[in-house]
Amino acid sequence: MFAKIASFEFRYQLRQPAFWVIAIVFGLLAFGLVASDNVSIGSGGNVNRNAPFALAGAHIVFNVFFMLATTAIVANVVARDTQTGFGPMILSTRITKGAYLYGRFFGAFAAVALCYLSIAIGTLLGTFMPWVDPETLGPLRLGDYAYAYGVFGLTGLFLTSALFFTLATVTRSMMATYIGVVAVLIAYLASTGVLGSRPEFETAMAWAEPFGSGAYALVTKYWTAAERNTLNAPLEGVLLWNRVIWTAVGAVLLAAAYGLYRPSPRGAKLKKQERLKALVETDVVVTPVGALPKPSYGFASGLTQLWSRAVFETVLVFRSPAYVVLVLLAMAFAVATLFFTGEIYGAPILLVTRVVITALTGTFGLISMIIAIYYAGELVWRDRDRKVHEIVDASSTPDWTFLVPKTLALALVLISTLLIGVLAGVVTQTIKGHTDYELGKYLMWYVFPQSLSFLQLAVLAIFVQALSPNKFVGWAIMVVYLISTIVLSNLGFDHPLYQYGQGVGMPLSDMNGRGDFAVFAAWFVAYWSAFAIILLVLAYGLWRRGTEQRLWPRLKRLPHRLAGPAGLIGGAALAAFIGLGVFIYVNTNVWNEYRTQEAREAEQADYEKTLLRYETTPQPSVADVRLVMDLRPHQPKLTTRGAYVLVNNTPAPLREVHLRWQDDLDMVGLTVEGATVAREWENFEYRIYRFATPMQPGERRNVTFETVLEQRGFRANGNTTRLVDNGSFVNNMEFAPTVGMDRQGLLTDRTRRRKLGLPAELRPAKLEDEAARVRNYIGADWVTADITVSTDADQTVVAPGRMVFDAVSGDRRTSRFVTESPVLNFFSVQSARYERTARMHDGVEMVVFHDPAHDRNVPRMLDALSSSLDYFQSNFSPYQFRQARIVEFPDYASFAQSYPNTFAWSEGLGFIADLSDETRVDYVTYVAAHEFAHQWWAHQVVGSDQQGSTVLSETLAQYSALMVMEKTYGRDQIRRFLKQELDRYLRSRGTERLEELPLMRVENQPYIYYQKGGLVMYLLRDQIGEDAVNRALRRVLAQYAFKGAPYPRSLDLIAAIRAEAPADKQALITDLFERITLYDVKTTGVTSTRRADGRWDVAVTVDARKLYADGEGVETAAPLNEIFDVGIFSAEPGKGAFDEDDVILLERRPIRSGVQTLRFVATREPRFAGVDPYNKWIDRDSNDNVRAVG
Amino acid sequence: MLTIENLTHVYGNGTRALDDVSLAIPKGMFGLLGPNGAGKSTLMRSIATLQTPTSGSIRFGDIDVVKDPEKLRRVLGYLPQDFGVYPRVSAYDMLDHMAVLKGISNGRDRKATVEALLHQVNLWPVRGKALAGFSGGMRQRFGIAQALIGNPDLIIVDEPTAGLDPEERNRFLNLLAEVGESVVIILSTHIVEDVTDLCPRMAVLAGGRIQLEGSPIELMHTLEGRVWTKTIDKAGLAEFSKQHNVISTRLFAGRTVVHVLSDTSPGAGFERAPGGLEDVYLATVNASRRAA
Repeated sequence: MFAKIASFEFRYQLRQPAFWVIAIVFGLLAFGLVASDNVSIGSGGNVNRNAPFALAGAHIVFNVFFMLATTAIVANVVARDTQTGFGPMILSTRITKGAYLYGRFFGAFAAVALCYLSIAIGTLLGTFMPWVDPETLGPLRLGDYAYAYGVFGLTGLFLTSALFFTLATVTRSMMATYIGVVAVLIAYLASTGVLGSRPEFETAMAWAEPFGSGAYALVTKYWTAAERNTLNAPLEGVLLWNRVIWTAVGAVLLAAAYGLYRPSPRGAKLKKQERLKALVETDVVVTPVGALPKPSYGFASGLTQLWSRAVFETVLVFRSPAYVVLVLLAMAFAVATLFFTGEIYGAPILLVTRVVITALTGTFGLISMIIAIYYAGELVWRDRDRKVHEIVDASSTPDWTFLVPKTLALALVLISTLLIGVLAGVVTQTIKGHTDYELGKYLMWYVFPQSLSFLQLAVLAIFVQALSPNKFVGWAIMVVYLISTIVLSNLGFDHPLYQYGQGVGMPLSDMNGRGDFAVFAAWFVAYWSAFAIILLVLAYGLWRRGTEQRLWPRLKRLPHRLAGPAGLIGGAALAAFIGLGVFIYVNTNVWNEYRTQEAREAEQADYEKTLLRYETTPQPSVADVRLVMDLRPHQPKLTTRGAYVLVNNTPAPLREVHLRWQDDLDMVGLTVEGATVAREWENFEYRIYRFATPMQPGERRNVTFETVLEQRGFRANGNTTRLVDNGSFVNNMEFAPTVGMDRQGLLTDRTRRRKLGLPAELRPAKLEDEAARVRNYIGADWVTADITVSTDADQTVVAPGRMVFDAVSGDRRTSRFVTESPVLNFFSVQSARYERTARMHDGVEMVVFHDPAHDRNVPRMLDALSSSLDYFQSNFSPYQFRQARIVEFPDYASFAQSYPNTFAWSEGLGFIADLSDETRVDYVTYVAAHEFAHQWWAHQVVGSDQQGSTVLSETLAQYSALMVMEKTYGRDQIRRFLKQELDRYLRSRGTERLEELPLMRVENQPYIYYQKGGLVMYLLRDQIGEDAVNRALRRVLAQYAFKGAPYPRSLDLIAAIRAEAPADKQALITDLFERITLYDVKTTGVTSTRRADGRWDVAVTVDARKLYADGEGVETAAPLNEIFDVGIFSAEPGKGAFDEDDVILLERRPIRSGVQTLRFVATREPRFAGVDPYNKWIDRDSNDNVRAVG
Repeated sequence: MLTIENLTHVYGNGTRALDDVSLAIPKGMFGLLGPNGAGKSTLMRSIATLQTPTSGSIRFGDIDVVKDPEKLRRVLGYLPQDFGVYPRVSAYDMLDHMAVLKGISNGRDRKATVEALLHQVNLWPVRGKALAGFSGGMRQRFGIAQALIGNPDLIIVDEPTAGLDPEERNRFLNLLAEVGESVVIILSTHIVEDVTDLCPRMAVLAGGRIQLEGSPIELMHTLEGRVWTKTIDKAGLAEFSKQHNVISTRLFAGRTVVHVLSDTSPGAGFERAPGGLEDVYLATVNASRRAA
């Protein structure tokens, strides 16, 4: 009986369209995951698209969204008998409850399981597509698919099937079950979104996450690309238990369904009907009413109808359970997202409204789109779906009072999501203790502009539904539209003139407000609004009224219906649309240049093919820069007149000088003394000047130029964020010519490069290439500079060097800056309405130029600069300037960068850091120290243009900052910080695109030169001492500070360190700098016994090994023989309030490969003990170093 | 006066639902009788401006209904054969909403209208309840209430009694009878008693054509003395039908009672039966089927 019911159910499900629709939809999604470059789960970098890691990821992630599909199939098996009224008939047969319930369940579950194979099939088919880059595919291994399907697919499906089957059995309502699904989805996404991103919860997540993603993430977190490409996580430990436990939960739920099932159909609805009927079925004498009030027609009546209908439609939506569920979903999602927004190194930021708005805009985009699509169908078709259309359509109300209220209601629904977002924002801000809500910004930066765009979206969705033969076709068209917009953008067809409802980006800044972007955006809003009105008029003309569904008869009536006011409105809108379109076109394509991404990439490739060959052509150096700059922030326009002195620092005469400048820059005049233009590439802004008489070694020549940097009107994208009303921030590459060719602005995407006939990767010169030492990696020479800038009188200018003149005349302010020591010819000019907070420290003026509202962390910045100066001057060398200036710029970019005596610092970083929690990393001090350190490590010593160059700047700046932090906060905060850095390094290795390189050969690999670099330097200092490290650094400074070619290499730093290090640390230096070395120390046992004298004998058993990894992450063991910290504690290090008092004993002991037992005598009762307790070493598993006693 | 001339409607799939229908309908209750599928609803919807006929004209007074549907809607009250309700909307709110749609834009007027009508159809006690919980009869009463908003001059009631139990049907017809004589009311139905009870004039629509038109009493006169009845065995019916012009059969105590149309006595065992409207109707419908 059971088997027959199950097989009947299975065959029944296979005949349902829902089954096939779900299979096709999920199959396509999975296909897209593999076949498209734009989305990926688990793959990317060196991890193949069909890597077992990616397949497991796909099978886990899809399980979450498959819940909706599972429910459609499984919940239906019980609910459908109630829906169709077949229930009583089936229940009157002889089948047993068990056979009925479980037969149906397992039949449906088999269908679900079969349906889920679409994920495997989709991903498999994707790998065969001809456009998929074969470099990103591994060999076809069916076993990987089977593993992912079996371990993650089936188990997850069983759990969700059982859960929602049981829910449907209890409620016997599809609607209730779907609400349950959405609730589970909300809870799941919110909790995993919040907890999943935080390493301290990773173990808890591994057990609690029902689909196995937490367990899988924990097991694979440090997997390298090689491992991700070849391994399936062994089914053991937490992964195995997670799957077993959650499958058992499913089984329990299923068993519960048996007990909860009540075979009698609910008659509540009928009973209610009877009760109501009884109220009105008494025979009363019907008194005919007299004449009822007469209707009235006209505009006033129309408005009443409009209003009444709008309210009616909106209330219907707002009261529907689906809407309530959506709102809860949106709210939970928003709060969860906002809660951890903007954390840096685990330290929170002040949740200012601007940050909230940026986060909300990102979060709600897709949700709003889905709401719009769904409710447009519901609203337009509701009268028909509810069979009310014959009544309402026969009433005298005009067509537009149907159309407009439905559009308004949809817009209101969408706008309500905005208000929910605002509510979520305010709630989260309150929780986080930030009570300056800036509701005006919520309104003007978020609710208002987004509402306009939602209104346009609503019109489109309504228009599509008004034309479609039914709701489902309308939905399908909108989904196709949605996908097409994404695809078009990804193909680079991103001009807002043909992307409905699109405008130009409006980056937000508290310094600069919405700037000119609001005005630019307004033109597009007007343009698309005009188009939306045309759509509305057409929708009115084609409105479906009565029982006729076909489009053709309505099209025939269209001209007749457009005669009159509708036509006039449509005509006016069309005229406005065309007029605005022309205006926008002139701005974006005539006054400014517009190119699709493809065209841009093609030009980049062409540029590289044409000019990269000049990269190593010997060139004169710039020795002196003189600039007179006129900045008009409100136009915006920057005029620069300048002069360079070139000097031939090469040993041979030079016949040519190459000059180039950026695309956006207008070169008004350019002359080179004694030279004429020999060749010019106008489209690449590149000129070769040939000297009439070659430039002899040591000879100097003058170059003069005049440039204009401005933006006329607005662009389709990439409107300037550099010259703005308040907070202009330009560097000299943007407004002055550059000498010689370099790799700036070349195409970097591997796949695109190969498609355009370029080598996949442009790698820097090898470390051994001596020829590369003629250039530094920044591409700038040592110069002296004299810069005069005029700006608006209410603004302050900051340029490199010391200000020697500053005067206001009329509405202009002119300032002159002169450098006091050589600077790299790479500097910035900033101008804004700054407040200036200054402090003298040790003869150096510390200044923060900041927005008047951003004074919160300024004292901390000044403190950081002061303590940095102290450490650097006493350990490295004297500071070369008399000022150190932090200069704020708008949050159009989020970084801090060190220019000569100037640190440009985004308002989105330190200025809104929340430093109130002292246990969190103070990254304001950290960033300030790091940037200040660059005044030595980049602005004094700068590496050559080859592998390893950033070790001399970034790694050393990292080390310097760590030392400042340690002096300021003590070692414990450094340990917490470094533990995060270790985790980041180990994780990043897994997503390496090329190959991991040893530190001394690091290329463009931030996780090596920052994260690993910091770890290496801190360990080195631990092993050879702070003095030895700093002596080595002074050695490097003495040899290379302010020196031109040949520039130093990482090898020079290593040599200096070796010279200061004892003989027994030389091998360690090799391991740290010249190899990829991983350590793996583990405390396997700790025992303690009390001695007669009251002290404690402690035995710590340690298992240790050392591994060398190659670039792909393949490891080979090597003998370990190093000195490690071994400690005994009364509390666990790095947890809670652990401090120095908890250290019972800390000794350095030699540790060798293999298992060894170390013995100690402790004075107090030990609770924890272990090797490398402070995580100084690059340890593959840093969590097993310390163990509890016992 | 509603005048329909040469009205033809052909659906997209080729079905000829109305075939050259012409009718003149005066003030008062007009019964449109026809079997299921005769084209009644198509005719009603065409008059109610919900669909545009393929050809022909409909005029109501000065209004050309096909050309100016908006004008007709202002004087129209329409109760469709089958209508649904919005979820979670009460009778009062829905009626109020319908009043807005029908142009009762003044709030006070609307209140008066809604309250009067809810009382009239005896839904006042349940005005705050969701329509979705109403029984069929209550729903139809709501339907007639909304049709009466704004004193329409033309009221179309399409199959209002289908599916109601006898009590509910009775109540509904009482309600309809009160609507008054001064407006045109078209009652479409396939239940002969509805017409007998209410309508001074009627027409029979079958196969998309008007088969018969007149007053029920006159039409019954045409059959006077021509309807004969006989009780036969079930098994003999097929043979019997070949010999006689059978207009109806029904079972009585396990045997079949047959009505036959004949100017003279059809033979032994037949008795003269009083010709009712039902006989007129069935005779007409049968004749049209035979012709088709």
